[in-house]
Amino acid sequence: MPDDKKFLDDLQSESADVRFAAWRQAGEASPAVIGPLGKLVGSEKPGVAKAAREALTTMTHAVGKDTGAANRAAVVKGLLDLAGAGSALPVRVHALRLLSGVAGEGSVAAIARWIQAPDVREEVVYCIERIPGDASIKALLAAYKDAGDDFKPRILAALGHRRAGEALALSVEAMRSPNQEIAVAAVKAFGRIGRKPAGVLRPPEEKGLSEWQRIDQLDSLLRYADAQAKGGDVAEAMRIYRSALERPQEHWQCAAIIGIAKIGTAEAAAAILPKLKSNHRTVRITAEKAWKSMAAST
Amino acid sequence: MSTSKKQTRRSFLTRSGAAAGGVYLFDIVPSRVLGLQGQTPPSDTINFGHIGIGGRGRGFLRLESNLGQKVPASPNLGGDGSRYLRPARSMALCDIDASRLDQAATRVGGQPRMYKDFRRLLEDKDVDAVYIASPDHWHALQTIMACQAGKDVYVEKPACNTIEEGRAMVSAAERYGRVVQVGSQGRSQTAAWQAANYIRAGRMGAVRKVTCWHYASPDGDWTPDSEPPQGLDYEMWVGPARWLPYNSKHTHGAFRWMIDFGGGQIRDRGAHVMSIANWIMDSDHTGPVSVDAKGEPPHDGMYDSAVSMEVTYEFKNPDWTLVWAQPGVTSTEIEARYGAIYWGDSDRLTVTLGDGNGTATEPKARDYAAQCDCGKAFRSPGHSENFEDCIRTREKPIMHMEAAHRVSSLCILGNVAFQLQRKLEWDAGNERVLNDDEANRMLSRPGRGPWHL
Repeated sequence: MPDDKKFLDDLQSESADVRFAAWRQAGEASPAVIGPLGKLVGSEKPGVAKAAREALTTMTHAVGKDTGAANRAAVVKGLLDLAGAGSALPVRVHALRLLSGVAGEGSVAAIARWIQAPDVREEVVYCIERIPGDASIKALLAAYKDAGDDFKPRILAALGHRRAGEALALSVEAMRSPNQEIAVAAVKAFGRIGRKPAGVLRPPEEKGLSEWQRIDQLDSLLRYADAQAKGGDVAEAMRIYRSALERPQEHWQCAAIIGIAKIGTAEAAAAILPKLKSNHRTVRITAEKAWKSMAAST
Repeated sequence: MSTSKKQTRRSFLTRSGAAAGGVYLFDIVPSRVLGLQGQTPPSDTINFGHIGIGGRGRGFLRLESNLGQKVPASPNLGGDGSRYLRPARSMALCDIDASRLDQAATRVGGQPRMYKDFRRLLEDKDVDAVYIASPDHWHALQTIMACQAGKDVYVEKPACNTIEEGRAMVSAAERYGRVVQVGSQGRSQTAAWQAANYIRAGRMGAVRKVTCWHYASPDGDWTPDSEPPQGLDYEMWVGPARWLPYNSKHTHGAFRWMIDFGGGQIRDRGAHVMSIANWIMDSDHTGPVSVDAKGEPPHDGMYDSAVSMEVTYEFKNPDWTLVWAQPGVTSTEIEARYGAIYWGDSDRLTVTLGDGNGTATEPKARDYAAQCDCGKAFRSPGHSENFEDCIRTREKPIMHMEAAHRVSSLCILGNVAFQLQRKLEWDAGNERVLNDDEANRMLSRPGRGPWHL
């Protein structure tokens, strides 16, 4: 293990090569240097600031492979200290990004304390979103309750990205929000979660949505249908696919045909059959391919 | 520009057809609309939108002055020069830099529709397909959204910045039945096809090793952050990536030396050289079992991608090794800045570059191709032509999304192993790292603001 003082001195050397040699070996440094490194990240000398950032990164990577690695808890603790409100913003941001790679469930509560802080909330959600396990999902659900309307879509996106089944009820409820940004974000999360709700599904009325909100909503419902088909709820999947099949736009029809073909039942074949005579070449070819794939699989 | 109240060609045809009470509009239209007298019917003219019209994107523009004329395919995009591009027009242009937008519009001529927000271009119902040549960190989301909007896509390489992005792109293309061609055009080069046939025919025994070489990345310097130039929407430029202040040395053209935006030579040129390797070695639907990397990042300066590196990929069933090395060992047969050597049991073969006009292979492979029409490899007519053919046939293009995702996976995993400085065991089926918690977290990247997969 390198001597702490020499290590920190080398990181501040005038020589880029000396600084590089120091940060390259930072994986062997004591976690006690994390605090001083945080100060160096704010150095006015860009080469020193870079060396300090890279040293922190190397230390983090050194404990990243195994969750039970020696020093992992100490490194995470040091990074949590750097991520706190007492550090300069660039230091907090760097620490949060590093924590996203190594922090465990036990650190989520500490990180989630900053989730409503306007200057770091995006980085906090990013960090929590990346931490495996239930604790991060619970933290995101809790944060949603206190979040302003402008940040609720971001939290819903994180929950959708995590395919968090625990957020199913929230997504179904939030898609009824009068705020269309929230409502559509909820539909997107719902589509990514891909689970069937207990109650009636009531996505926002299309007529009030922008073009992209409509696209996002339909895409999310198709994702949901794909998940239902894969999970064996053919009736629910067919309900969504049939709706898409009736739309005039060829790509919604194609998506429905492709989804229906994977179901492969007689009902599915009957739904595709009329599209073999579609006036739209892309729809017709897609239906022909779907038909062949269904025939080949029976 | 809003198109919501504008009468489009398609909406006109639809409404006119309906108003005619079942009498098709074709009864009263001029012959050129039907493609008679040698003219191309409008329905066969592909309407392209272009997202990102900087250095690379400009090369895809179709000039209005060429409309109705035979346009030879660009040699940079492969093909033997005997083919012409399909009739097409660049009807919509998009860039977050107003100056580039204006320049491109002038170059195209006519009155292309201009957008600063790519979502507005994708909403344009008259656009059939899009060329995406934005910075790498935008490729995935824009491709996925284009599929959602019903557009076919030609997207520049590398396809994606994370493993998760690549898989999401594959899913989007499949869900909507879209044609997605990724711009690793080396596969459409004659030399690559010749090499593929030569090697696949077993002319040098089984190939157990492929070694790539490429010159090192720049190590950069320090340029102070500044305010973005007027006309550049920098917030949109960063998009889904992690935020950092504007700097002229990490945006236009230079973004690829930053891991978050580009990823260095391995992701830029690796997406060419290793694309051909994957194609020749029939690995378009699989991946290595391990990835090991060593090398050095810049000692100083603002960039963080590898200056020098050597990445070793081990494949199983069949067993072979792929090495990406910068600078690596160059070929003694053909002089080139980058390329790959295929090591067979009894001989070896060089394929240089793997992207544009200079892709070459050795005479033995060229001669074999000339003597023997026994090619096992699909011969692309050229990368753009192949894309445009597939728009009509709905077949998968030569650099389809799954293949591109697998090549990008090599590049991404190489960088992850390099960043972590350790060997990764890779499950190519489930696309997970088997032996490294942190590496698995690096396979995806949460979006930022409103930009999410």
